[in-house]
Amino acid sequence: MAGVCGCCCGAFRPRYKRLVDNIFPEDPEDGLVKANMEKLTFYALSAPEKLDRIGAYLSERLCRDVARHRYGYVCIAMEALDQLLMACHCQSINLFVESFLKMVRKLLEADKPNLQILGTNSFVKFANIEEDTPSYHRSYDFFVSRFSEMCHSNFEDPDIRTKIRMAGIKGLQGVVRKTVNDELQANIWDPQHMDKIVPSLLFNLQSGEGTESRSPSPLQATEKEKESPAELTERCFRELLGRAAYGNIKNAVTPVLMHLDNHSLWEGKTFAVRCFKIIMYSIQSQHSHLVIQQLLGHLDANSKTSATVRAGIVEVLLEAAAIAASGSVGPTVLEVFNTLLRHLKLSVDYELSGFYDATTTGNKTVNEHEERQLQEAVIKTIGSFASTLPTYQRSEVMLFIMGKIPIPGMHLTLPPTDSGSEGDRMIQVMLLKSLRQVTCGFQSTNMLTALPSSFLDPLLSFALLEDAHIRLLVLEILVSLIDRHDNLPKFSTVSIISDISMLKLKMEKCSRQDNLFMKKHAQQLYRHIYLSCKEQSSVQPHYEMLYALLALISMELANEEVVVDLIRLALALQDLALVSEETLPVFNRCAVHALCAAYLNLICQLTTLPTFCQHVHEVIEMRQKESPFLLPEDVFIECPKVPETLEKPAGEVLFQQAKIAEVLGGSGYNTERLATPYIPQFTDEDRLSKRKSIGETISLQVEVESRNSPEKEERTPAEEITFEALKNAIVDSVGMEEQERERRRQVVEKFQKAPFEEIAAHCGARATMLQSKLSQIFEITIRPPPSPSGTITASYGQTQTRSVPIYEMKFPDLCVY
Amino acid sequence: MLRLSRSTTSHVLLDSDPLKRDHSACKIIVAMEDYDYLFKIVLIGNAGVGKTCLVRRFTQGLFPPGQGATIGVDFMIKTVEIKGVKVKLQIWDTAGQERFRSITQSYYRSANALILTYDITCEDSFRCLPEWLREIEQYANNQVVTILVGNKIDLAEKREVHRQRAEEFAQAQSMLYLETSAKESDNVEKLFLDLACVLIREAKQNTLDNNDSAPMPGEGKNINYLSCCNIN
Repeated sequence: MAGVCGCCCGAFRPRYKRLVDNIFPEDPEDGLVKANMEKLTFYALSAPEKLDRIGAYLSERLCRDVARHRYGYVCIAMEALDQLLMACHCQSINLFVESFLKMVRKLLEADKPNLQILGTNSFVKFANIEEDTPSYHRSYDFFVSRFSEMCHSNFEDPDIRTKIRMAGIKGLQGVVRKTVNDELQANIWDPQHMDKIVPSLLFNLQSGEGTESRSPSPLQATEKEKESPAELTERCFRELLGRAAYGNIKNAVTPVLMHLDNHSLWEGKTFAVRCFKIIMYSIQSQHSHLVIQQLLGHLDANSKTSATVRAGIVEVLLEAAAIAASGSVGPTVLEVFNTLLRHLKLSVDYELSGFYDATTTGNKTVNEHEERQLQEAVIKTIGSFASTLPTYQRSEVMLFIMGKIPIPGMHLTLPPTDSGSEGDRMIQVMLLKSLRQVTCGFQSTNMLTALPSSFLDPLLSFALLEDAHIRLLVLEILVSLIDRHDNLPKFSTVSIISDISMLKLKMEKCSRQDNLFMKKHAQQLYRHIYLSCKEQSSVQPHYEMLYALLALISMELANEEVVVDLIRLALALQDLALVSEETLPVFNRCAVHALCAAYLNLICQLTTLPTFCQHVHEVIEMRQKESPFLLPEDVFIECPKVPETLEKPAGEVLFQQAKIAEVLGGSGYNTERLATPYIPQFTDEDRLSKRKSIGETISLQVEVESRNSPEKEERTPAEEITFEALKNAIVDSVGMEEQERERRRQVVEKFQKAPFEEIAAHCGARATMLQSKLSQIFEITIRPPPSPSGTITASYGQTQTRSVPIYEMKFPDLCVY
Repeated sequence: MLRLSRSTTSHVLLDSDPLKRDHSACKIIVAMEDYDYLFKIVLIGNAGVGKTCLVRRFTQGLFPPGQGATIGVDFMIKTVEIKGVKVKLQIWDTAGQERFRSITQSYYRSANALILTYDITCEDSFRCLPEWLREIEQYANNQVVTILVGNKIDLAEKREVHRQRAEEFAQAQSMLYLETSAKESDNVEKLFLDLACVLIREAKQNTLDNNDSAPMPGEGKNINYLSCCNIN
């Protein structure tokens, strides 16, 4: 209370007090007495130990002036404080700062907006000073609380309200700047602070939306030095996030999620997306996966809220993933996909059951339309995440999704779902759609590793053939997997292309791995194509996809052998269309004919054999004249021009197997193989073992082929007999070709007409017959043949260990041809 | 040396939390402060029960007729003198609307006292009290003083919640209870002054407790003494 007596005993008062008093003019309107202020500054600099007392005295004066409403003097005192603060960048400001902050606090406590803003401005100036001494026990709690409150100002006058809010934002920015790098400070990242700062910023960001975002142009705005609260907020928010370290991200993002929840901002999407765009662009990129994880966690927490909220979160995830690019998924790739797939499944369940919670039914009903939108959003997001992954992880994800698809007979461990087949079907559709998204743009150099049998087997399984929608999805997935040179758009419609060089196809020579892949899986692919053509429910998109698939296989994966097989397949499809009068409608049969024509036209040009091309062209020309309904131009249009009934076409309008074999043989293709008509394998009634046996068949084929090479023959003399025996069998069957063809007719017919059980029984019997024959052969050799050595064996190691020894194996028909 | 300067700053200049401060030190540095105690009071309760009006009546002595909904948080300060002790009350008036819940909750933690308000003419606002208590439980400091206030007693003819019922409820939750009218200025002054008294009592109790448990009470005092010599 020493300073109260003022002027009367001025001479006896300490020098610093006199110096301070002198800076105040008689009339506050005159402003700070500049000359005296310089004196004071000089004194403070030369005697820094007095600085804290100068501060204390100034603050005492200021408090008094505030209480007496002498605002002119208040401003002057503040100006002086600011100048002293700026002038004294030395250690001694530590104590001075305490008086300074006390004054700022005093101003902030005042209910006059001017004083609040004045205080804030000073605080901001102070915040920009970098102190070199650590400050213990300085508390910014009040500032955080007060600035946050100012951010929500509800002052009547909108101009002043804006000013107060802006001051609040600046103040928060100041607090963050001041404390963020100071490890001794009360941690600004603590939830107690973040829960105030972040919602305050978001509130301003949000209230600026709609009104402020329409500002003429950012350039003009900076010229005027007039920034809107929203822009300022965004800058501040970015700065805050940019400074967040690994451990702080969570505390910063949690309030954002809360705010969006409380203000129901997920539904609108735009604001939530904007927030998270800011977040993702501002945080250090190595932390972005944390944000993604928090979003996923939030999605989990909201699994029972309405679909629009979940869709909003998913939408945000989508955007965030796109920004985070490679870093978005972080260490837990599968966890991300697992969460998304779980929500997809959950949504399907909700849609089916109609309720969010099975236990407390009736509280909220599910809006199916919204659930559908959510599902689409989830699928899109899955695709977006996947596109950020490197190839090897993508195939991992594909396998993971595949593993989640309920396929009857495929996963015996899978418990039957309550919702039954409809639920299964919907989930199949959803997961296949996700898979389609994941495979979109997937370009693997090595098909063999990218598509292991554990992926292809279920994808090509029968369970996914029956439903038209699912079948189409499977075809789409296959096409996008095989298309590695973006050739797909060129085959989007089925048509007779007179000159394929116009398409400017991009091709590469088929690599060794690709050859191996085809050796292993070609039969499955062919069978799938064949069976897809046999389905009644196929419509135009199916045939288009089949055409694309055939075309892409011949572009991407074809060697001579594959070309021959594909031609065989095309001819088999033609036969199928011929014999299936009763099972397939006219449209389908015409479509298959048209498909064959289009495909053969393509492949004949790919082989660049003039005679082959000639034959194909002749047939096509003939069809154009006599039966245009067998060509894609008449079939694959909006109103297909197909006749009421289809007379069995014959002669000139059909592609002749013999003729093709002749022209191909002339060019060194393996006509023996071509002469053998293609028949898909139906060897077993049990799908599971069927697949297994097919896998083994193929592996055996490979073995046989590998044994063809002389050096391997030498190394494995013990197999001589086996090999010979097998070869004999093949030679025999070739000899009986004519007979076989007749039999094949019958078989095909039988398959078309007979009930499934009968076919199964028949096939079973045949297989047993063959098996007994083979066991006889193997018994001669007494011991089981050792598996052939070399790389191929290694890659089949798994199959071998799980399967029965080779000599006990059931040999399906394929190896006989 | 470092250690010494550290304690000095802490005891002389820390004013944001007077409760924890050594009481004697508090008296000495009072020359720099215009109060003896600083308390943070937070008003909570459903939207429209009259929280802002209570604060306005107390701090500014007026009743704003068309008071709009509070956005986020509002801040007022008032210094009162009770038996010669100057008490500064920092009053944080929160928005009752659900959407601001996250920001308002963040203010509970540092509060010394909570004024839980309901509207006696609105049964709903009374029914929500247990929910509010859960919030307090979850977010507030466990030493917080809570007082239940039934506002709008000027609208006695529209009363829906009987005094006795509210009193019983308050008692069961060991809260103080008061009925007020911001419009007629009934009990508003009393509400805040009573609260201040309780807080002072608690603070003194705390100081005593702290002194007992402080490991080396002498050290802090000595340094404070030194530092106060510096000031004068």
